[in-house]
Amino acid sequence: MKNRILQAYKQAPWRIQTQWIGLFLLGLVLIASITGLYLSISAQAAASGRKIQSLEWQISNINNEIAELTSSLARAKSVDNMKSRAEAMGYVPINPHAAVYLEIPGYNPHAELELAPPRVSIISESPTLLSSYRTSLWQWLVKNIWQAPSVQSSVEGELQP
Amino acid sequence: MRPPFYRRYVMIALLYAIFGAATIFQMVRINYTPFARDLIAKSEDYQGVRKTIYPPRGTIYDRKGNILATNQIGYEVGIDLKYVSDPESIAFATSALLEDLDYQHVFGLASTEKRADENRYFVLSSYVSKETIQEFEQLKASYATRRDETKSLKPSLSGLVWTPMQQRTYPEGTLAANVLGFYNYFSRENAQGVFGVEEAYNRLLTGKPITVFLPNDPYLVEALPDIEPGASLILTIDREIQKMLEDTLQEALDWSGGEGGTIIVADPKTGEILGMASTPFFDPNQYWTYQDTFPGITPYNRAVGSAYEPGSVFKAITMAAALDSGAVDLNTTYNDATGVYWVENSWPIYNWNLGAWGVQDMTGCMRYSLNVCLAYVAIDRLGEELFYEYLQAFGFGRSTGIDLASEANYPLRLPDDNRWMSMDLATNSFGQGIAVTPIQMVAAISALANDGRIMMPHVVRGVIDNGQQYHVTPQVINYPISAQTAREMTEMLAISLEEEASGALVEGYRVAGKTGTGQIPTELGYTSTLTNTSFVGWGPADDPQFVVYVWIEKPTISQWGSEVAAPVFKTVVEQLVVLMRIPPDHIRMQVASEQ
Repeated sequence: MKNRILQAYKQAPWRIQTQWIGLFLLGLVLIASITGLYLSISAQAAASGRKIQSLEWQISNINNEIAELTSSLARAKSVDNMKSRAEAMGYVPINPHAAVYLEIPGYNPHAELELAPPRVSIISESPTLLSSYRTSLWQWLVKNIWQAPSVQSSVEGELQP
Repeated sequence: MRPPFYRRYVMIALLYAIFGAATIFQMVRINYTPFARDLIAKSEDYQGVRKTIYPPRGTIYDRKGNILATNQIGYEVGIDLKYVSDPESIAFATSALLEDLDYQHVFGLASTEKRADENRYFVLSSYVSKETIQEFEQLKASYATRRDETKSLKPSLSGLVWTPMQQRTYPEGTLAANVLGFYNYFSRENAQGVFGVEEAYNRLLTGKPITVFLPNDPYLVEALPDIEPGASLILTIDREIQKMLEDTLQEALDWSGGEGGTIIVADPKTGEILGMASTPFFDPNQYWTYQDTFPGITPYNRAVGSAYEPGSVFKAITMAAALDSGAVDLNTTYNDATGVYWVENSWPIYNWNLGAWGVQDMTGCMRYSLNVCLAYVAIDRLGEELFYEYLQAFGFGRSTGIDLASEANYPLRLPDDNRWMSMDLATNSFGQGIAVTPIQMVAAISALANDGRIMMPHVVRGVIDNGQQYHVTPQVINYPISAQTAREMTEMLAISLEEEASGALVEGYRVAGKTGTGQIPTELGYTSTLTNTSFVGWGPADDPQFVVYVWIEKPTISQWGSEVAAPVFKTVVEQLVVLMRIPPDHIRMQVASEQ
């Protein structure tokens, strides 16, 4: 009798097999999803890393080019070059007694030279790298999926100590 | 009941368990052996490199923003052994294009046996020019073409690498090199500024190097932190004035046969040095030739690094002290009846021409530069205590504090010093027996041109650091005399020049000044016929805007400052007023009267 009752509630073997297969497939899909997500983020991180290296290289090259151009310009504008160019164009040193002096209102010959770039107000300072490129997959999952959004502890109208 | 083959299953399970446990044990053991620690340490080498990044050295500008020192790109050429396939071609190319490289030496390096477990890199040459690198690139391209044509692996420059790096350059060449100093960039990690501004402001110009880890793993790559370049300096030097001074000094030496010299132009109201020329001239772009240009004890910058007995220009200081203290006034007279002044218990003092000049007022004493008169003023009127108090107030006996490296200072011999003699007071009064640097004289004389105030002489006008510009505020370092005494001295020395019809007079501009002829001491005393000739002057007399100091050392054409240094002063001022845009006096007066 007891065996018969158990038999009456026991699931059919094909159904059990289907459930196991379903569970296995679910696990497989979960693992595949996590693997895919991991690969995707890793690929993006690697690509960003390479891009950073490339940009750093470009910055270095540009800085070198700026230094090269600055020194070339300085040589081209050196006092000897400027003098010889002026002489080639027919200019001669002025005789102070032949000079015409004009009074220019507001002109200050002793004014300080300003070479520093003009000051600008910095609106915001964003980090060079997005945080998603600096967190591990685990941190990202915790932050974006499982971590509950912060809830305001105070209710409107409630008195605070 | 046990299943069939139960014991076999147990045996297989046990074997697998033992194998697994042994594997785990071995893995743990390997991690704790000395060999494993070496291996782990070695693996870190492959994870990336630790690199120190040096910020670009700050730029140095003149007062108008023209670049006097900056950085350009040089290349380090080396051999990366891993990629070398044709040592002969590398040796041939480098020995042909790079100086001081021998074919055999490079061939030996390029043929070094390669080892799989290490990267080997040999530096062949540093700071190679861009033009040479372009020649290497052309050669590399032509080799590639030849390889394609012959379908072979040679010739090839594979493994010959060049890396850009910043190097110091001075676009104006020798201009202002004595003020700038130089940067010995070849020594890389230990490079530092030497002499001049480069040394005095080395820490500011260098900036702060940082060490970063550059990983090979792209997952670990992060943007490099911002590296602030070294601070830039704006000098008080005007490159056009500097150029004019150096040209004038060279012409003066050629003409006078002088051994060396210096000319300084300063703004007495601020202490700013507008120009400072000093011989020998030197190209800091080839700083490694420094020893050839400055053999022995030759000072890098005579204006600050060389002390000498100035001679009669010093009389202006003695007279200023006497007037300011009330020991004499403009109408005080001295009767130079014999041309000799006997210092008590000592030797006689003579005038420059050994002559007697009769009764002279103080202006006459300065006009004719009478040694006996100044000895009388110092000994009989001023007294040793007051005289040396004034000398110290004028800044003699200590450094001026100018912001240039290697400033010399010769201590003042004072009456409480055992070596001091009463004769010293007499000779010091006309600039003998006392050693001063040209910059000390300029600072002291500035008091006469600036209502009694001595300003701190300086060559840096502003600093640009972290994107912000800071201005250097002129500082008063002392008030040795009153404004009235300063104006009286200016008037006295302007009249002296005019009455003397001096070679220093400049048409259209009233200037004040004093000549100087200093005898040069030898081991046997003042036996040399060679002299130090100098002139110090300032103008315009009613509103001094410049002080000019000229020192020509050991001229052969004449031994007198009035004949050698005074005409140089005139030449300088004639050009200086144009460069400083100072109109002739009558135009200034006219404009002032219209206002």
